[in-house]
Amino acid sequence: MTPSLQRTLWISRVTFLEAVRQRFFAFLMVLGAAMVLSSVSFRVFDFGHGELKFIADFGFGGMFLFGSVLSVVMTAQLFFSEIDNKTALTLLAKPLSRSEFLIGKFFGAWAVLGVFVVVLSGLLGGVMWAREQELVAMAEQAGKVPVTFSASGMFQFALLQWLRLGVVITIVLTVSALARTFLFTVVVGSLAVVAGQLQWIAQDAVLKPTGSALYGAFLWLSTRLLPNLQQFNIGDALVLGATGVPGEAVVEVALSGLAYMVAYLFIGTLVFRRREI
Amino acid sequence: MSSAISVRRLTKDFQIGIRGLKLRAVDNLSLEIPRGQVYGLLGPNGCGKSTTLKVVLGLVTATAGEISILGHPSATAEARSRTGFLPEAPYFHKFLSGRELVTYCARLSGVLPSDLTTAVEDALGLAAMTDAADRPIGTYSKGMLQRIGFAQAIVHDPELVILDEPTAGVDPVGSAAIGRMIHAMRDKGKTVVLCSHLLGQVEQVCDRVAIMDRGKLVLEGRVEDVLARRDRHVMTIEAMTPAAREAAEAALAAHGAQVTSVTHPRRSLEDLFRELVTGSRDA
Repeated sequence: MTPSLQRTLWISRVTFLEAVRQRFFAFLMVLGAAMVLSSVSFRVFDFGHGELKFIADFGFGGMFLFGSVLSVVMTAQLFFSEIDNKTALTLLAKPLSRSEFLIGKFFGAWAVLGVFVVVLSGLLGGVMWAREQELVAMAEQAGKVPVTFSASGMFQFALLQWLRLGVVITIVLTVSALARTFLFTVVVGSLAVVAGQLQWIAQDAVLKPTGSALYGAFLWLSTRLLPNLQQFNIGDALVLGATGVPGEAVVEVALSGLAYMVAYLFIGTLVFRRREI
Repeated sequence: MSSAISVRRLTKDFQIGIRGLKLRAVDNLSLEIPRGQVYGLLGPNGCGKSTTLKVVLGLVTATAGEISILGHPSATAEARSRTGFLPEAPYFHKFLSGRELVTYCARLSGVLPSDLTTAVEDALGLAAMTDAADRPIGTYSKGMLQRIGFAQAIVHDPELVILDEPTAGVDPVGSAAIGRMIHAMRDKGKTVVLCSHLLGQVEQVCDRVAIMDRGKLVLEGRVEDVLARRDRHVMTIEAMTPAAREAAEAALAAHGAQVTSVTHPRRSLEDLFRELVTGSRDA
């Protein structure tokens, strides 16, 4: 292992330990878990779409909501605690490059979100599997074909969610490298998540002819600069297994997420190199 | 042999506000800090000494000028791997124990795994923190925080140690302990650069001092030299020649006085500091 990688991993390790000791992480983890577990109680409100789909949507929603909040707020807090408490001064006075520092922060925060996704996905998978057993038995008695739960689909979904949250973390770190305050970073990071969720609108618009070259350029830039976070929302198709998703499509989405992560981290390190601490 | 730190014509401007007004924090500063000495960098708040240290460590970029550490351009990994730094009012992750913090900093500073245990224990021992090393940092007193900060700064056995206000907020006992650590570093042949407002302590531990005011260097030299007042003398009569002694005694006896010694009188570093800094400001 190279010295640079070792230093990066040490930053990640301490970042991870700092994050998992925060009450904020525990609070959101418990809240997310409660939402997933309570989905069984709310399944009567399935609006005719089937119980498993309702439970899945409820769980996916909780994972996305609390995961996004955690990605934005926790990442900004982990970065600014180092700057405001001046621990960054101590660390960056050592033979530690700024890119190692920022990438270390990223991996530490991403590992925390990995724990979050694994726990909630495990819980959601458990809930869905248990309910599936009951529904299968009932369907067999009624002579119907039940909707089945796919464990491998859940694994792929968890991986994609982790990638999506990784993209959000890199956006927040890039903003942090530029911003002066925690609040500004959280606001801009949150807006970026919302914009990423709505990015498909720009993608649709860019395909339609437009009279204004400036507007066309703006749309084109929007579709390149911001990731389409909606593309990760293929949980239903992956987990419920009725329709299924081609493996190439999953790989394409994953590669897109990885590409944005690398790009944002690259921009973030360039910006952070010029920052005066 | 090159200096421990060489600063040539350093200028640092900060831009303020959206109109980009410039605040000059350091103004054409040149310094040569020799190796193996304890060097005091003094000045009132806002005089530019902390900015100078940050530029030296590569945490802030210089507007103009050149800086080298131990013959290497500052801000390079080579220069920083041979430098230890304790910032003012250090804060460390409270959930780590003292030993974990020093280990973490040792690994970031490039200490090899095979040397890690020895390096960490040596640093903790020098900082007198071995007994409290396994306690969480959140339970440490102010003096202990400074001492564990000192341990993390020296764990990789740097040739140059930079201490920014190491005794700020520390009681006299803790302050004396830090003074002993500085002496121990000098005895090991290290260069120590010290920023402090405690002029009495600086006078005791430093070999050379530089005084800054409003971003400029106003005085630099050996402590003995800058404190000696060569326009006045204290005479030790026993060392004089008989003829001179007789003449002096006779002259003084006529006024009822008795000569006991002749030497260069000293003024305190604090007086000198006030004269240079406050005097210029009043003017």
